[in-house]
This record gives sequence, C-alpha cells and structure tokens, in this order.
Amino acid sequence: MTNLKERTMTDADNMANNNGLRRLWMMFSGIGIIMISGAISGYLSQRDAQGDGPLTTLDVSILGLFAAVILVLAFAIWRLFQQTKQSGERVPRRERLNNRIIWGCGIFGGIIGLTLALTGNMEAANEPSPFASGPMSPMLALILAVAIGVVLPAITFYWHKHVVDEQEDAAYRAGALIAIYAFWFGAPVWWFLWRGGILPQPDGVPLYFMTAFIALIVWFWKKYR
Amino acid sequence: MKNQLKVLRAMRSWSQADLGEHLDVSRQAVNAIETGKYDPSLPLAFKISRLFALPIEEIFDDEFEGAHND
Repeated sequence: MTNLKERTMTDADNMANNNGLRRLWMMFSGIGIIMISGAISGYLSQRDAQGDGPLTTLDVSILGLFAAVILVLAFAIWRLFQQTKQSGERVPRRERLNNRIIWGCGIFGGIIGLTLALTGNMEAANEPSPFASGPMSPMLALILAVAIGVVLPAITFYWHKHVVDEQEDAAYRAGALIAIYAFWFGAPVWWFLWRGGILPQPDGVPLYFMTAFIALIVWFWKKYR
Repeated sequence: MKNQLKVLRAMRSWSQADLGEHLDVSRQAVNAIETGKYDPSLPLAFKISRLFALPIEEIFDDEFEGAHND
C-alpha cells in the first residue's frame, strides 16, 4: 500500500517540473539567437570598417556556422514548445495568463534585442558591451523610450493586478528591498572610491543593471526555490 | 510553518496545479506553502480551511507550545 507521503508528488507535478525546465531552455535559446545575431552584425560591421572586399570562403564559413547555430536554437524552441503543448499539463489560471504575457514580452523583447543587435547599436566605439552608452538614431531611441516608458509600465501594472499571487508578490517585495539597499549603499561607495582615485567616475548604467539584476535574482530565488 | 497541505492534497489525488486552480494561486505558491518556505496570508489560510473543510489550526501548526502550558 502506497504511503500518503510518497503519493504527494503526483505525475502531474513531475510533468510541471519538466515543462518548467523546457520553458527555461526556450528562454536561453531565445537569448542565444539574439546574441548570435549580434555577433553576425558585429562581424559584418568589422569587415565594413576594415574596408574588406567581397566575402571570402572563411567569412562565409564563419557566417554559415553562426546561421546554423541560430537554426538549431530556433528548432529547439519549436520542439520544446510542441513538447510542452503535447504534455497536456494542467496549468492554474494565473499561470496561463503569466505564460501568455511572458510569450508576448519575449517576442516583443526579442524584436527589440534583434533590432539592437542587427543595427549594431549594442556596440559603441568598437567596444562591445551591454552597458554601451554610445549614440543611436533618434527614431530607435524614441521607439525604445516608448517601449520601456509606456508599454512596459502598462504591462507591469496589468501583471501585478491580475497575474501575480501573494507568494510572488512577497518575492517581488523582497527583491525590491534588497536591490534598493544595494543601490543606496553601492552608489555612494563607488562615488567615494572615484573621489579617492581608485575607480572610474560613477556611471548610472551599470548601477541600473546591478539594481535590476539583484531584484531579479532575489525574486527568482524567493519564487522558485 | 509546518502544515498538512501535502497530505490533504494527496488524499484528494490533486496535483499542485489542481490545488493552485482551486485557490487561484500558482503551483510555485502551493509548493512554497507545502514546504513551509512561505506562510500564507490570513485570507488565503481561510480559503484553504474552507476548501478542505477543516479549521486553520488543524491544517497549519505554528509549533507554539505556550497554549498547552496554560
């Protein structure tokens, strides 16, 4: 006779865990596509800057390899999506809504990321960096400003009102609290070390990314641990 | 906080997703409550209590011994 405690992990729970892993891999694959697109753009920009002529066999091989990896990742996303769909997993209402919004935001973010990668705006002055603050076209700047300043807050408001449950809400609050403390203490530390000639001048971009990253990590840990 | 949620759920052959659907919370929330990593709010605790038709103190145990010494 099966013990009650042994029965508490149902097949459906195992299936849910597998689908969680599949979603994670789909996300990583999407990020991989954006990064490789950026690499292709960077490679072609570098050739242009050096005034190289037509593509050589080596260039075609390298670009072909990048394209092949993109195709493999795209196939992996499609396959994982099909497997998730076919699993017939039961998903609570909030999570269904959550998944739809994540897919929407993922596609939206992917388009922005791809645009940035393909237009070479992720690189400033030949210095590839996610913290680049080089110039970009006014149109692209406006599109990104509207996306981050108008679209994202509207989605976030809806998210917190209709999707987030109390456990995730607590995870968000813990993340925000630790992130704001990291910012409050980290920014003046950097400022003092700059005044002491130990570090370069404080820059808001890495501080912003640090704050967002800490909030994200704490939220993830609190929600999924 | 220790609780009987896992056992009560298993008695009904519900998955975490099933219980999440009944309580209108995510599977992660059900899992966090079951493993004692998250204590539900009072409204959610009452919802759980009504769902299983049991008093809150029969589902959740705050391990407070003081009451027994009175």
